[in-house]
Amino acid sequence: MENILLKDNVADLESYFASGGYKPLKKALALNPARIVEEVKKSNLRGRGGAGFPTGLKWSFIPQHAGCLRYVVCNADEGEPGTFKDREIIRKNPHALIEGMAIAGFAIGANHGYIYIRGEFSAEAVLLETAIAAARAKGFIGKNILGSGFNFELFVHRGAGAYICGEETALLESLEGFKGQPRLKPPFPAVKGLFASPTVINNVETLAAVPAIVEKGGDWYASIGRGKSAGTKLFCVSGPVKKPGVYELPLGTALGDLLEKSCGGMKEGRRLKAVIPGGSSTPVLTAEEARDVKLDYESLAAAGSMLGSGAVIVIDESQCMVDLLRVLARFYHHESCGQCTPCREGCGWIEKILNRLEEGKGSPGDIDTLYSVAEGMISRTICPLADAMAMPVMSFVKKFRGEFEAHAAGKTCALRTALAGKSEAEPGSAI
Amino acid sequence: MPTIKIDGRTIEVTKGTTLLEAAQKLGIYIPRYCYHPKLSISGNCRMCLVEIENAPKLATACSTEAAEGMSVFTGTDKVKTARRDMLEFLLINHPLDCPICDQAGECGLQDYYMKYSLQKSRFRQEEKVRRQKRRAVGPHLVLDNERCILCTRCVRFCAEVTKTSELEVMQRSDHSYIDLKEGKALDNNYSLNIADICPVGAFTSRDFRFKQRVWFLKKTSTVCLGCATGCRMTAHHNENTIYRLVPLPNSQTNTWLCDHGRMTYKAVQAGDRLSKGVIKNGLIDLEPALREAATRIDEAKSEAAVLGSPWLSVEDNAALARLAISALKTVNFCFEFSSGQGIKDGILVNEDPAPNTAGAGLLKAAHGGVSLEELSGRIASGRIKVLVTEARAAGLVKTALKTSGCRLIVFAQNRSEIPAGAYATLPYASYFETPGTFINYQGLRRRTNPAVRPADGVKPLWNVVNKLAAYSGTSLGLDSAENALKDIKL
Ligand SMILES: Cc1cc2nc3c(=O)[nH]c(=O)nc-3n(C[C@H](O)[C@H](O)[C@H](O)COP(=O)(O)O)c2cc1C
Ligand code: SF4
Ligand code: SF4
Ligand code: SF4
Ligand code: FES
Repeated sequence: MENILLKDNVADLESYFASGGYKPLKKALALNPARIVEEVKKSNLRGRGGAGFPTGLKWSFIPQHAGCLRYVVCNADEGEPGTFKDREIIRKNPHALIEGMAIAGFAIGANHGYIYIRGEFSAEAVLLETAIAAARAKGFIGKNILGSGFNFELFVHRGAGAYICGEETALLESLEGFKGQPRLKPPFPAVKGLFASPTVINNVETLAAVPAIVEKGGDWYASIGRGKSAGTKLFCVSGPVKKPGVYELPLGTALGDLLEKSCGGMKEGRRLKAVIPGGSSTPVLTAEEARDVKLDYESLAAAGSMLGSGAVIVIDESQCMVDLLRVLARFYHHESCGQCTPCREGCGWIEKILNRLEEGKGSPGDIDTLYSVAEGMISRTICPLADAMAMPVMSFVKKFRGEFEAHAAGKTCALRTALAGKSEAEPGSAI
Repeated sequence: MPTIKIDGRTIEVTKGTTLLEAAQKLGIYIPRYCYHPKLSISGNCRMCLVEIENAPKLATACSTEAAEGMSVFTGTDKVKTARRDMLEFLLINHPLDCPICDQAGECGLQDYYMKYSLQKSRFRQEEKVRRQKRRAVGPHLVLDNERCILCTRCVRFCAEVTKTSELEVMQRSDHSYIDLKEGKALDNNYSLNIADICPVGAFTSRDFRFKQRVWFLKKTSTVCLGCATGCRMTAHHNENTIYRLVPLPNSQTNTWLCDHGRMTYKAVQAGDRLSKGVIKNGLIDLEPALREAATRIDEAKSEAAVLGSPWLSVEDNAALARLAISALKTVNFCFEFSSGQGIKDGILVNEDPAPNTAGAGLLKAAHGGVSLEELSGRIASGRIKVLVTEARAAGLVKTALKTSGCRLIVFAQNRSEIPAGAYATLPYASYFETPGTFINYQGLRRRTNPAVRPADGVKPLWNVVNKLAAYSGTSLGLDSAENALKDIKL
């Protein structure tokens, strides 16, 4: 099927416009805003930032009484290890995002939008600024858009490199100029978001899908994909496959097809061991589990994992699970904002145990401790970062316990020793 | 008005009430660190997790509002496990230096560990995160970052109560630590409250630390006389020495104490505390001092005057009034003092630095007398030969006294209080040593309770007045504080 988001030759305004771009905005401005929200609801579009919350429903939570400021915020922080799809949209199809935000603004009655972009994406931030300037020059952004009387200003705000600022309320704190730390919820952003005003916050990929939905209708979008997982999704494949990269496929595509057909299979001499299907925070699947699973919200949940951000991390037999987990633990330990007791203390504890195991200083009891520390963190914190640490730990230990035991007993990593000197198998390279 | 159930017991609460507050109403205690009733909700410690029927996750009781029909459980296995886990997390990087920690005995970590955990540590000692140990952060506080559990109460106190925002959490993850913002010192007038609300030994009082283990302290509830607000407080003392003052939270005046008020106990046990009389500059025993003072008063006859004091209790002012009326038989007396507009800093401190302006006014209501201006005028014009008053009240007529040649007989507690040129000084018991009635700026009547005994021979002021009158041949019949209040309508 034809791509909705990843298209060639639409990066600049002229070609985007020539291919029908900004027609949806014009169409939307002639509609009743509530109709647009209905259409997005009908499309079954769900958040592509990780949680998969129904987008139309989220928009419908925005209070509609007059006189209150509202905001649309785009989450372009893209910090989840393994994820590199939003960057691709910004590079190839920035106007779909800009148009999607203007439509979202009109739908919820917001006159201001912010794109919060990951600090490292400096070139992309410039690219967005340029695209917004071009759209403003043509009257797609700014005052009285296309003569409709609707005003919409759009700003790009660069983050400073903290993963936690991808969590929506930490992002809002950061956008307001404070330290990026998640807020207690409720109140949710739809009620009290940016500058204490009702705010819709969506991922880049979510917002970029909106123009097509307005143009072709919610039913059309809902017909793509599988069941309640509608539409296409960008999958970011990393690891030892022949052609790693970003692929746009309908939800419900078999993971096997993604790896075999799109990515050309595993590299020569590599055998699949495991797949992290939805970004580093999601539970790992064994090769066995990965073989038949379909890439959609429901199927992955049934398989005990999550679709997450769509970052498919492929792990082969040459990679050490203990080491991989250690890389993840180092990341989460570093990125925890430190507010909540279990996350602040637990992430560091987990990393220390993994360091011990990896360095041959562990003991058999460490494995159970590791697991129970993760259990102690899960579902008990302000934001899901603690879960994002705990879920990989629990799934790695459960599914690859043998490797952990070998580390504890053998006092060193057998794989690492076997592979010493082979530059191809940099441990943890997939992440 | 949602009705909810907590551990099977039903309670109706007002909308917006949190589960923690609702439980408290039922007498069910939910452990907490970051929650403080007077600060915003932060929800970071996760100590207050409770189970809500049909909810997939445990919820923080401090931040979850009661909703109609909720059924909450505070003692299930799931809740108990969560509490134990939180304590384990809090303790893994804690230095466990209780033997040298001044918080020991009133420490949130020690208390909850005993109550909710008692689990053996699974963490390797050598892997603990180290942080900065003690250092002074302002005139009254010491901060030991290693003991901090990052509950942010201190940060919120400075941001929300004093609005001075000196503190901040620096860094993140387990490298987080509390620090002063650049260029700030923790020198606001409420800083010692931070030592109280810090649940652990991270913030401790420079004044109090290492003076006394807390389990030796006895507690006496009393009133601060630092200003007209009249905050309620508790004096902590042992073996006749006061070690610290802490707030006694109440809805009428105060949750906190100001640092000035906290230090008011210092004068009571200061080196210059008077236990004898002073004539001119020489110390003499109380009896000859009284005799000397009485002689001067007798000489002056009706040209003697009495000035009450807003720093003295109603009882002691009443005794002075009786001295004027019954012994001196003079019309030169004054119990009228001006008060201010009330709280001056938006928190507690009153414009009126005296604790009993309203209480002294009762004597004016009962006996009349002259205004302070009038009395000043009479002193300045030389019509008053002897003035009997209290040391700080003497300050109110300082200028008049300077040139008048009037002899000043003052009651004082400390040598440093004695006004220049005082002829005779008589010591009296402080209100940490004797009960006294005070009326604050709102008209609230409060009584001090003695926490310690005065030095031998030091008596309440009403008693000294009684003796003074006796030396002049008048019996005022002041044999008790109650008796002094006899003709006062409180
Ligand atoms: C630790 C953490 C990091 C996150 N990082 C991102 C991110 O980089 N980009 C993103 O879109 N969502 C991220 N999210 C999810 C957001 O909180 C939020 O759910 C999302 O932006 C909502 O948009 P959506 O409904 O369009 O998915 C993160 C969540 C957590 C807990
Ligand atoms: S879970 Fe971790 S990252 Fe999230 S708010 Fe708590 S401490 Fe911060
Ligand atoms: S210093 Fe005390 S009050 Fe402040 S955050 Fe640490 S434990 Fe809490
Ligand atoms: S405000 Fe006044 S009464 Fe309260 S503690 Fe301070 S000095 Fe004492
Ligand atoms: S008291 Fe509720 S989270 Fe700290």
